[in-house]
Amino acid sequence: MTAVVSVNGVFKGFRGCQALRGIDLQVPSGVVFALLGENGAGKTTLIRILTGFLHADAGSAEILGLNCETQSLTIRRQIGYVSDAPALYDWMTVERIGWFTSAFYPTGFQANYEELIRQFEVPVERKIKQLSKGQRAKVALALAVAHEPELLLLDEPTSGLDPLVRRQFLESMVDRAATGRTVLLSSHQIDEVERVADWVAILRDGQVALVEPLAKLKQSTQQVILSLSDPLVEIPLPRGRVLHHTTRGRQRQILVQDMDADGLAALRNTTGVQHVETKTPSLEEIFIACTRGETVPAADDLPQAFSPTA
Amino acid sequence: MFFSIDPSNGVPIYEQLVRQVKFAVADGVLVSGQMIPSVRQLAQQLAINPNTIARAYTQLQTELVIEPLRGRGMVVRKDAFTRCSKARQTLLAASLRGVLAECLQSGLTREELVELFETELMDLESK
Repeated sequence: MTAVVSVNGVFKGFRGCQALRGIDLQVPSGVVFALLGENGAGKTTLIRILTGFLHADAGSAEILGLNCETQSLTIRRQIGYVSDAPALYDWMTVERIGWFTSAFYPTGFQANYEELIRQFEVPVERKIKQLSKGQRAKVALALAVAHEPELLLLDEPTSGLDPLVRRQFLESMVDRAATGRTVLLSSHQIDEVERVADWVAILRDGQVALVEPLAKLKQSTQQVILSLSDPLVEIPLPRGRVLHHTTRGRQRQILVQDMDADGLAALRNTTGVQHVETKTPSLEEIFIACTRGETVPAADDLPQAFSPTA
Repeated sequence: MFFSIDPSNGVPIYEQLVRQVKFAVADGVLVSGQMIPSVRQLAQQLAINPNTIARAYTQLQTELVIEPLRGRGMVVRKDAFTRCSKARQTLLAASLRGVLAECLQSGLTREELVELFETELMDLESK
């Protein structure tokens, strides 16, 4: 199956700042794909390259098989895009902007748009500049999906919006996925991502720190808390990919992926370890570990000792 | 029925759905022959990824709690009640085991544990 969005070796720098340092990303068709990352990790830069507003310094980006740099107009006709500050013609009424935009799309656009606006309960005769933030966002969403695009690209569309509007956005996203379409969502609302995402990619410092199906990520990641006999005890890192580890007094907390039963047993049997507790971390905990921790290389190597880093 | 989903409590969402359906059947909230919402409907209702819903439904079907009604959707099976009551028992047993393990781990003796258990049970029964 061809990827709906295909990013290969993309680099992008601005004066004094390398925003993207070699991004490889393939978004499969028909999924909700969430892009997470701290402010400044490169999410918006990547999205701007996808929508053709920015050109990459190196590498290629394609949407639906079309080149983001050279065919961006064709792309924009086939996808829907909602940013966190939608640019709308303030003087137009809600109805008028639908009519205006329908000129760019095949027939049926305006009817769909008006139906969505009705569902979202946004008054049609009101001018855009008189709308609340939430209503504006809903208009932007309606404009983006009225032509039933194959891909819906959302760049933090609900930041600063009330829970009801956020819920309406989620319902819309979920519905698009249910009909086999693709959603690429960049968001800080991790609890929302946890509900609706099929895939999760975490960007850190302009690189992809992690990309995999959410179910697999949660299943394979454990938060391990060790109680040691003495705070100065040194113990080897567990087998698997350690995302983050911290020390507090006699306890160590380790977030580790793909640690099997043997690895856990090995920890329990290590000298100095009195008690081992494991739990499944939330996506937020995984995200914080990924973005805060030093990236420890995957261990098929020999276990390394680590000393307290209080 | 109403679902109560907590995406970050450590239990996979599809598993939470499966359990809640089973409990609902065991409680009589869902009765044999009753239709449950389609994947798309439930996904919208709960704002949850439809693949997660589908996975829960597949598991419920495999475990003979629900079955397809041709052309209409999924319904609760006639024999689901007994199955779900048993399943609920199993889940409760696992919860109880977890609490017992925690008590034993924290150093309670068997006598102390039994005493604690009886006190709490008596207190609940009197209400």
